[in-house]
Amino acid sequence: MKQLDLARDVLDKQVVDRDGTKMGRVDGLVLELRGDGPPRVESIEMGFVVLARRVHPRLERWLEGLRRWSVRKTARYRVPWSKVKEVTAHHVQLDVEALKTPAFDWERWLRDHFVAKVPGED
Amino acid sequence: MKKWMQLALGIVTAIGGFFDMGTMATSAQAGASFRFQLLWTVGAGTLLVIFLVEMSGRFAAVSRKALPDAIREHFGFSFWLVPFVVLTLSQFLVLATEIGGICFALHLVTGLPIQLFALPVAALTWLFLWRATFSTIENSTSLLGLITLAFVVAAVLHHPPAGPVLAGFVPTLPHDNPLKYWAIAVSILGAVLSPYLFYFYSSGAVEDEWDRSYVGVNRAIAVLGMGFGSVISLAAIVVAAVVLAPRGIQVDDYHQAALMLTDAFPFWGFVLFAVSMAIACLGAAVEVSLAIAYSTAQTFGWNWGESLDPREDARFSTVYTGAILLASLPILLGVDPLKLTILAMAAEAAVLPFVALPFVLLMNDRKLLKEHANGWISNTVAVVVLLLSLVLMVVSIPLAFLGGGG
Repeated sequence: MKQLDLARDVLDKQVVDRDGTKMGRVDGLVLELRGDGPPRVESIEMGFVVLARRVHPRLERWLEGLRRWSVRKTARYRVPWSKVKEVTAHHVQLDVEALKTPAFDWERWLRDHFVAKVPGED
Repeated sequence: MKKWMQLALGIVTAIGGFFDMGTMATSAQAGASFRFQLLWTVGAGTLLVIFLVEMSGRFAAVSRKALPDAIREHFGFSFWLVPFVVLTLSQFLVLATEIGGICFALHLVTGLPIQLFALPVAALTWLFLWRATFSTIENSTSLLGLITLAFVVAAVLHHPPAGPVLAGFVPTLPHDNPLKYWAIAVSILGAVLSPYLFYFYSSGAVEDEWDRSYVGVNRAIAVLGMGFGSVISLAAIVVAAVVLAPRGIQVDDYHQAALMLTDAFPFWGFVLFAVSMAIACLGAAVEVSLAIAYSTAQTFGWNWGESLDPREDARFSTVYTGAILLASLPILLGVDPLKLTILAMAAEAAVLPFVALPFVLLMNDRKLLKEHANGWISNTVAVVVLLLSLVLMVVSIPLAFLGGGG
């Protein structure tokens, strides 16, 4: 049976989408506790709020407070483990399209409101 | 043969990270105040920086990962957060310094106030990054950077006395003003061992798609690229020692440093100095802006790459845009470029242990690097760097205030 060390091999690893576009890192992992057996990896989490929680609860609350000005709709982007295509030495590949996920909220917003407005970029 | 074109990465790293505003200022001060006596600091710094650059290139070639990327992955976000924040702050100060350097060079040539150039220079630096691909930046900066060889030509034309020059490579204690001597020695080491230098180099190697087959070439590039930066810095000290010291000129203002090349090149010396300064600082500004964007994007896992269209890595491009804009503010507000340089170099020296420790630990990860992990020679140098960086961290900021003003 192949083993995976969650903290060493999954947490903090680069996340890429179906086409290999870099879309973030594994900022958090969610385990599901089941009554009848060992816990199961339910999903991976991405987002600044998830990172903030790892540093200090207060930082998490501050970031939550800032969210009303944020472009990002979902503070925690959760991807069910069933969407994980593979875990390699380099990345965790998800079966999604990065551009259509909340992980790309800021990327899309900056592209439309900043990059596209630069003269010569159209 | 194509691999040897990668020498451009070594040269651009050296121009931006080695012979920049900081090194220029400290070399002029060292030569003017202590003649050849501080040459050893550049010599020692070069030896250490060659090893660090070689390690970071080897790491990138074997693991196909740049340093911030690998550090977050291996040590976790909470570990990396503090070094990342400190590194970013120090890089920001350095960027402000380099922008100041370009503005100062333009001020030398035109006579117009420095502040006037802050925004145009920021805009030009940004435009260069926005438009150019990584290989264009590498090739044009390293080609333009060859003009700094003017210092080497000037040093040779002055026929410096061989005995005292060679004696300068042996560390000695100063006859008087030890505080200033050590302040300059520390800032030279701080300026040479810039943390962003090897962070930038490893990201550059990933941009250039290095793999295991580059391990040998990387070694040569580290020696030649850093050797290039070193020779120019040594030449600048020699020229300052021959030209400025006999006249009793102490460099407490960049205007005095500008006289360095006028003896060797009576007519062109002044312009040559200004052009060398502008190009060296532009190279450094580009390098530091990219270093800030690389480390931020890699820390959060965003798409990054200078060869991508800004539309494909909007966050990466926004980071360097914002950094350049913010870094032009101190100069715009009239902060003295020399004071800014001294502060930036002290900050760099203080940051070194934070970023060197995880780097050295990674270099010994045999699971990741296998037979390319550090051997005992590299590790001995690594331990020396770590110990030295701890000393520098403790003494750099107090010394910058006590001895830097002169």
